[in-house]
Amino acid sequence: MKNRIFYNRVGFSTLLNKEIHRFMKVPVQTVLAPLISNILYMAIFGGMLQTREVGIEGISYLNFLVPGLATMGAIFAAFQNPSFSIISQKFQNTIQDLNSYPISLAEKILAFVFGGMFRGVLVGVLTYAATIFFVGYEVEYPIFFVLALTATSFVFASLGLIAGLVLDNFEKMNFALAIVITPLTYLGGVFFEISKLPGLLSAIKYINPIYPLVNVSRYAYIGVCEGNIVIHVLLTMALVISSFLIAAYIFKKGVGIKTV
Amino acid sequence: MLSIKDVSMTYQKGKKEALKNINLEIEEGEFTALLGQNGAGKSTLINILAGNVKKTRGAVSIGGYDIDKKELETKKIIGIVPQDTGYDFIFTVDEALKKQSGYFGIKDNKEYIDEILDALYLTEKRSARIRDLSGGMRRRFLIAKALVHKPKILILDEPTAGVDIEMRHTLYDFLVKLHEGGTTIILTTHYIEEAEKLCKRIVIIDGGKIIADEPKEELMDAFSRESIIEVHFDQELNLADFDFLNDYHPHIEDKTRLQLKASKKDLSKVFRQLSEKNMEFTNLVVERPKLEDIYLNIIKH
Repeated sequence: MKNRIFYNRVGFSTLLNKEIHRFMKVPVQTVLAPLISNILYMAIFGGMLQTREVGIEGISYLNFLVPGLATMGAIFAAFQNPSFSIISQKFQNTIQDLNSYPISLAEKILAFVFGGMFRGVLVGVLTYAATIFFVGYEVEYPIFFVLALTATSFVFASLGLIAGLVLDNFEKMNFALAIVITPLTYLGGVFFEISKLPGLLSAIKYINPIYPLVNVSRYAYIGVCEGNIVIHVLLTMALVISSFLIAAYIFKKGVGIKTV
Repeated sequence: MLSIKDVSMTYQKGKKEALKNINLEIEEGEFTALLGQNGAGKSTLINILAGNVKKTRGAVSIGGYDIDKKELETKKIIGIVPQDTGYDFIFTVDEALKKQSGYFGIKDNKEYIDEILDALYLTEKRSARIRDLSGGMRRRFLIAKALVHKPKILILDEPTAGVDIEMRHTLYDFLVKLHEGGTTIILTTHYIEEAEKLCKRIVIIDGGKIIADEPKEELMDAFSRESIIEVHFDQELNLADFDFLNDYHPHIEDKTRLQLKASKKDLSKVFRQLSEKNMEFTNLVVERPKLEDIYLNIIKH
C-alpha cells in the first residue's frame, strides 16, 4: 500500500477548518446573501402563486416551496464552496501548496467535500429557519429532512470540487453556474411540480440529478412528494456515491493541481 | 538525504524533454546551489521534489523514502520556498502559519512560529493580511511558511528575487544560521554572488542536463588557472612596450593599468620579466575569477 487512507488527522481537520473558516470570514457574501434571496423567493413567489395550482394538490404552496428553497440554497452553497476555493487558489497561485502537505488523498478530498457540505447544510437549515415566520416550524420527519439536505450538499460539494479542478477561472465557473446548475435547479421541482410542465420539459426530470434531491427533502418536510420516494432515495444514494467517486478520480489524476 | 537517479521529464507527449537523466546525491548538511539559465530545468526538478510535476522516468528518494512509494513521509522532510509569491487573499500571516503547521500535523506551534517570525523580522506584521505585505515581506513570509514544520531539507527557488539588498543580506545571515543548525539547503538563484557567498557545492543545469557538479572551491580552483593580473603604473602606458608579455594577452585599462591573463605559476615569471625591463610598477593585483565568470564560461561551452 502506497499511503494510508487516513494519515494525518490534524492535517485533515486543519484543511477542513480552512474551508469553513474561508467562507465564515465573509458571511454576508456566503451565507446571508443566499438566505435573503431565498426569503425574497418565499415572500414573492409564495405570495403570488399560493392561489395557483403549481404545487402538490392539498398542500399549501408555501409549504410546498420551503423544502425546494432549502434544497436550492444547499445546492448553490455546497457547489460554490469547493469550486471557488480551488479556483481562488489557482488564481492566487497557491494551488500547488496542496501537493506539499503530508495529507492523504482521501483526507484532502473529504476536507473539500465536507467543507462544502457544511456550508450547504448551514444555508439549507437557515433557509428553513427563516421560513418559520411564513409557515410555522413543523417538519414531518426532521432527521430525514436534515439527512436529505446533507446528502444534497454532499453531492453538490463533490460536483463543485470537480468543477473547481476542471475549470481554470471564475468566468468559466460562473458560466457553469448560470448555464448548467441554475436551469437544472429551476427544472428540478423547486418551485413547481415538474409533471405539470408541458411535453419535453417534463421529461427532463429523468436526467436531472436535482429532481430526486428536491423530492427527498420535500417528502421529509411535508410527507409527500412528486413520484416514488423509495426511487428518489435510491437515486440520491447513487448520486452521493457516484459524484464522490468521480471527484476522487479527478483529484487523484492531479487535474488542475499537478503538471503531468 | 536526497537522491535523484536517472530522472527525466518529458512533455507534449514525449516530444520535449525538460530533464534528461538527472543524477544528483545530496548529503545531510550540504548547502548546494542549483544554477542555470531560465528554462534550464531547475524549477522542473524542484517541482518534481515538491510533487507538483510528475517525472517520466527515474527514482527520487528523500530522507531514504521513495517519493512514489512513501510520498507523505517525504513531505514532512522537505520545505519548499516557491519561485512564485502566490498568497492567500483572506488570511493573516499568523493565521496562515498556524494553518500551515496544522497541515503538517502540528497542533500547537506558537513558540516556533514566534521564533521564525522574529528571525525573519515579521513579528510586527503577524496580524497583517498577507495581501497587504510588501514584495520583500511576502518572500520572507514564504520562507517562514516553508519552515514551520522544521524540515530537514529546505529548497529555495530564487528566494531573493525582487528583495532589496539590505534584506537580501539579512536573509543570507538567516540561511547561514539555519544551515549551521543542521538544515540541508538547496538554493536556486540568478544572483551568482549569492551562491558564491553561501553555498559549498555548485550544480549547474543546462538544457535539462547537469553540466557541472563540484564543491565550490574545487570548481573555482579548476577555473582559476587563468587569473587576471593587474599591474599599476604611475605613468601612461603604451601597449607596444609590453610585447614581451604577449603570451599573457596584455591589455591596457584606464591608460595606467596593465591587465594580463596568467596562471598562478606564471606570476613569478611575469614579475621577473617586468623587473628585467626595469619597469617600475606601483601596485600588483591578482584577481581570481568570480563564480559568475566561471558560470558564464561553463554555460558558453
